[in-house]
This record gives sequence, C-alpha cells and structure tokens, in this order.
Amino acid sequence: MKLSNFQLFEQIVAIVRKDFLLGMRRRASFAAMLMFSLTAVASLSLAAGGAIIDENLLAALLWVVIFFAASAGIAGTFEDEATAGTLATLKLYAAPQAVLFGKMIFTLINLAALTIFLLPIFFILFDCNVAQILLLAVTIFFGIIGISGAGTLTAALTVSATMKGGLFPILLFPVTLPIFLPAIQLTEAAFTGANFSAEFLVEMTAYDLILIIVASILYDYLD
Amino acid sequence: MRAIFFFTIAIILAIIFFVPPVKGLGELAKIIFFHIPTAWTAVIAFFTSAFFAAKFLRSQNFFYDELSARAAKLGFIFVMLATISGAIFSKLTWGAFWNWDPRQTTIFVLILIYGAYLTLRAAVINEKARARVSAIYSLLSVLTVPFLVFILPRMYFSLHPSPVLNSAGNLEMDTEILIILLAAVIDATFIFYRSMKLK
Repeated sequence: MKLSNFQLFEQIVAIVRKDFLLGMRRRASFAAMLMFSLTAVASLSLAAGGAIIDENLLAALLWVVIFFAASAGIAGTFEDEATAGTLATLKLYAAPQAVLFGKMIFTLINLAALTIFLLPIFFILFDCNVAQILLLAVTIFFGIIGISGAGTLTAALTVSATMKGGLFPILLFPVTLPIFLPAIQLTEAAFTGANFSAEFLVEMTAYDLILIIVASILYDYLD
Repeated sequence: MRAIFFFTIAIILAIIFFVPPVKGLGELAKIIFFHIPTAWTAVIAFFTSAFFAAKFLRSQNFFYDELSARAAKLGFIFVMLATISGAIFSKLTWGAFWNWDPRQTTIFVLILIYGAYLTLRAAVINEKARARVSAIYSLLSVLTVPFLVFILPRMYFSLHPSPVLNSAGNLEMDTEILIILLAAVIDATFIFYRSMKLK
C-alpha cells in the first residue's frame, strides 16, 4: 500500500489525536510520569537540605530527572497498545511510518507537558535563577525531540521483551547520551548566563535529525 | 589457533623482557600494551556486530544474527579488559582510576551499549523477535559512535594521548616499541577473529 504524503500526514494526525483522547481518558501513564518527576525533584531537594548547589550540578540533576521521568512515561508507548490488543489492528490500518511518527509526536507533546510541569517546581525547590530563559527553552526543546525520537523506537523494541521493568532506561540511556552531554553544558550556561558555544546546539540538532531519520529507516524492519 | 597462542606468548615475553620500563612509572605501566589492543578490538567488535546486524536485517538469515551476537559478547569482554587496564594506567599517570575524561566516558558508554544489547537479547524469548529487535538496537547504537568518539571529545579538554594513528600523522614512539605495540594489536584482532569462528 503506497500512500501519498497527504494520506500519510492524515494518518499521523489521526494517531496523535487517538493517543491524545485515550491519554485524556486513562491518565495513568501521564500521571505516573508527572508524579515521578515530582517525587524525584522532591527527594533530591530534600536530600540537599537547602544547601546551595553548583549550577553545573543543578543542570545535570535537571536532565537526570527529565530522563528518568520521560522513561517512566514513554516506556509503555507501544506496550499499552499491545496489552490492550490494539497494536495489531493499528498496524493493519495505518502505514508503519504513520504509526512511528504519530507516536513520536505524541511522545514529544507528553514530554513538553512534563517539562512545563517540572521546571517551575525545580526552580522553586532549588531556588535557581535562569539568566538566559530562551537558551534554556531551546535546549530543552531539542533535548526532548531527541528523547522522543530515540524513545519511540526503543519503546517499540521492548514490546517483545518478557522482562519489562528497567529494560527501557537501560536501552535508552546510551543512545541519548550525545544529547545529554551538550544539553547539560547549555543548561548550565542558561543558569549562570555565561557565554556558551553554539557548537553544542549544532551538535544536538544534528544528532536529533540523524536519530529521527535512522529511527524511521529501522522501524520498517520491525514488522 | 596454535600459531596465535605462540604469537601471543612471544609478544608477552617481548613486553616483559625487551621493552624498557617507562621512566617514573615502573613495570606496571607496560599494561598499556594490553590496553591499546583490547580497546582497539572492542571497537572492531562493535562495528562487526553492527555490520552483521545490518546483514541480518537485509537477508533475515539467522546465521548473521548469531555472528552479530557473538561479536557483541566478545566485544563486551574486550571492552571490560580495556576499561580495567585503562583505569590502572590512568591511576599511574594521572593519579586517579577514573575522572570522566572524554575517552573514559566514551568507553563507558560502549560498556553500557554492550550491556544493554545483551540484556535486550536475554529479555526476548521469541527467536525471530530477538534477532530483529537486537539487530535494530545494534544499528541504533552505532549512531552514537561518531558523536561520542569524534565530535564531543573535541569540545572538551582531554588528558588522553592522541590515538596511535592520529590526524597529524605523528608517531611519538620508538620504532621497536611501536612494532611490539602493532604486533599486539594484530594479535588481539586475530584472537577476536578466531573466537568469532569457534563453534
């Protein structure tokens, strides 16, 4: 079945819409992701006990929380469908690429919501100043694009695994590390207002692009 | 197999008796002759695994899946040996076993990738699904290599010496030592190659 670009786009939109509606109805995974980030930030802040934390460390902590909260939220992207028995039907009705990109966009929306929820709490609990808010926004945006690109494919890989708990973050972490390393540097610069190297942004964008292209190529081999 | 065994013994003897002790570092610093070949082979094994993963996806021939898995298992052993020997050398020269130098980060990520790949294989029971899923993961993880090995280390300060084959084409080494080192690298590559063929 060869689809025109418009048909593919329509299918992608339909899948995002479907996931969004289902997500609104059964808020379990979304709520788990938000609560996970809240718990993680609270426990870190509690452990720090009001001590002043270096911006460098703060930037790293922020990305650690984002990574694990994202893992908790998106590990079940395909698994939930498989458990409900709808994955086969979805694959029957929609083109594989539409499924991949639909899920990827929905994951991105989820992660955007996560960071909007997480950041104010993080700033309040760690009493953290942001000198360059635009840089922070851009860094987080490119960071979560990468996580959703790699995360969607990884979530599709873990469907056939018998042991689920913990497998997803193990698989995702090495693949997203080229995003985290520059993201932490840029986030630190955003906190302190120091000069930053644009190379880091270029590297992140390049890696995001390559991840999405390769995920799209590899996904075709999964069925 | 016997030839490789004698070759290995010869190299070990040459390192112990022929190579002079490194100034100020002592005999243990000779572990570098173990570190470079194992690190090299770990990277070769990584690409071999990805190469056979791609071959499997194209042909759906399970023999290639078998080879890809075997390369990854061997690679995991080599990467552990390279990391431990590197940490010992680092303690001798830099004063600490581990300080997240860019090269140490890279090799640690390689351990994580191999570990994740083998965990994934262990977690999938269905043979067909396991072959497909692990081949895809192998190819996905290869993406990180150009970024972690070539691009990101250049953006950070590193204490690690340049690779033997560096971009400037300089060889800051005595000829005899270089010959022994190259022999050790070739030997490690042969050991990997032979182990790939073992039943």
